[in-house]
Amino acid sequence: MSEPRPPADQVIATVRVALVCVVAVLQFGLGLRNLLRHDYHPRFLAVGAFVALACVTAATAAWVLRRRPPPEPVVAAGTAIVLAASVAATTATPAADQFGPADWAFGLIGWHLLLLLLDRAPVLFAALGVHFAVTVGHFLADGVPDRVELGTAGTVVIGTTAVQLAAAVISHLLSRRSREAMALAAERDRLATRVLSAEQWERGQRTAFAGHLGATLSLLADLADGLLDPRKPDTRRFAALAATQLRRLFAENDDVPDPLVHELTACADVAERRGVDVSLAVSGTAVDVPDHIRRDLTGPVAAALATAGTRARVSVLRTDTEVRVAVVSDAGAHATPANSPEVNVESGTYGQYTRMEARWRRQS
Amino acid sequence: MAPTELSAVVVDDHPAVRAGVAHWLGSGDPPIRVAAAGDDVRVAWLDDGADADVVILDLHLGGPVPVMGDLRRLVQAGRRVVVYSMRADDATALQCLELGALSYLTKAEGADHLLQATRAAADGRAYTPPSLAGALAGDRSDQRPALTAREVEVLVEWFQSESKHLVAERLGISQSTVNSHLEHIRVKYAMRGREAPTKAMLVARAIQDGLVRLDDL
Repeated sequence: MSEPRPPADQVIATVRVALVCVVAVLQFGLGLRNLLRHDYHPRFLAVGAFVALACVTAATAAWVLRRRPPPEPVVAAGTAIVLAASVAATTATPAADQFGPADWAFGLIGWHLLLLLLDRAPVLFAALGVHFAVTVGHFLADGVPDRVELGTAGTVVIGTTAVQLAAAVISHLLSRRSREAMALAAERDRLATRVLSAEQWERGQRTAFAGHLGATLSLLADLADGLLDPRKPDTRRFAALAATQLRRLFAENDDVPDPLVHELTACADVAERRGVDVSLAVSGTAVDVPDHIRRDLTGPVAAALATAGTRARVSVLRTDTEVRVAVVSDAGAHATPANSPEVNVESGTYGQYTRMEARWRRQS
Repeated sequence: MAPTELSAVVVDDHPAVRAGVAHWLGSGDPPIRVAAAGDDVRVAWLDDGADADVVILDLHLGGPVPVMGDLRRLVQAGRRVVVYSMRADDATALQCLELGALSYLTKAEGADHLLQATRAAADGRAYTPPSLAGALAGDRSDQRPALTAREVEVLVEWFQSESKHLVAERLGISQSTVNSHLEHIRVKYAMRGREAPTKAMLVARAIQDGLVRLDDL
């Protein structure tokens, strides 16, 4: 299970791996040698501090080497142990040897704190301050040192601390930069996705438009190929249907207060031009009809009007619960328009009348 | 053989409409006499116009505001009014019924509906043309009377087809049942809202015809 972690964590994790190596090398390379060479009072305190620090390193490494941040309790306990080791090691080191070759702990503890508290800057600085205070306090407690001692101590303290602080600051800068870079990359990705989806939408629109062209394309193709004879009534009926569908399609995207009636008017218009006497009756106030439902409602009207002979009545009725669109005409035969999932279409012939009704039951 | 010839007064601000209506009424069988015609409601109150059986009233007499006040006064005086209007909006139609007009026709509806509406009005009955049926079926107001599912179906089918023959065939009932459903609906409308002599007449007629019983009221 790999949860994507924020980029800042990645930088901190990498720096921590480096710090674990630094701490291990410093402790077992330089620290151990100095511990064995010099005298400490009492010695067990110094050795205890060394062992404690080694344990903290080992415990922390268990998480850090897997590139995971150590859990909070481990960090808290580790910090406490390291600070205790700071006190112990400092106490065991003679004040005169402080910051000298015998002081194996001063720099090492700083690196330990850095390793533990790298992602908690305020706590890190506080802990470093405590460590600094303990060592410097112990150093000064043995009387005012002479200038040479002071100079040597100062060089060690400033040199060590500066390197550690620099490491902390650089890793923070790096993590911030990488966070910014990641944000930028994410924004670019989002932009690319948007462009992609816009292109897809446009393609979809184009396909949909071709789909809504209905009979037109095949009619034109068949006329061009000579498969259809324009003099035949069937062809003319087919053309009437295509014309009505086209007109409805053009009306579909008009911005009008009552789009349903607008589309129906467009359908009626084409039929009237064909010589059909169309009356359009509207009842009820405009209601919100989703685009695809409107298409399902007006499609059968276009088909019914295309077959009308001389007279047709188109009606739209809107009540609280439903929208009903009907065509009653004198067409001899009726096409059986397909039901859509949400619009129920019914048609039939009654004597001289052909009736088609499309009903949409509104939710709510 | 009608004992007396029916008469109507036509109030419309367009001379062509007055002439057309007069022609339609005159060529009906039996013909309806136009007692007076004019572009002002005064013709319905004066001389021959005052005695006419039916007032055919245009709602817009030269102004943008419908003459609802005139309609109310005519109805309160017991006149039987058929509103004949350019406007097809449902709210206006329902308002005219509420005031007590016996019928509301749009000018898109032809001679046949006008003749039937005028004859029905002369007889104190309501006439519901298809457009008005649509307005009643789509009525979403709070004070609308409760209609049965069958009554709503009759209204919708009549609105959609303009043919009572087709309504009867579709619903499997006779044309006279279609008519009595339509009248029943109008009685329901007449029994709600403000009172008017024409509405009382409508209800009385319905009781007489056995359409409603006294205990239904």
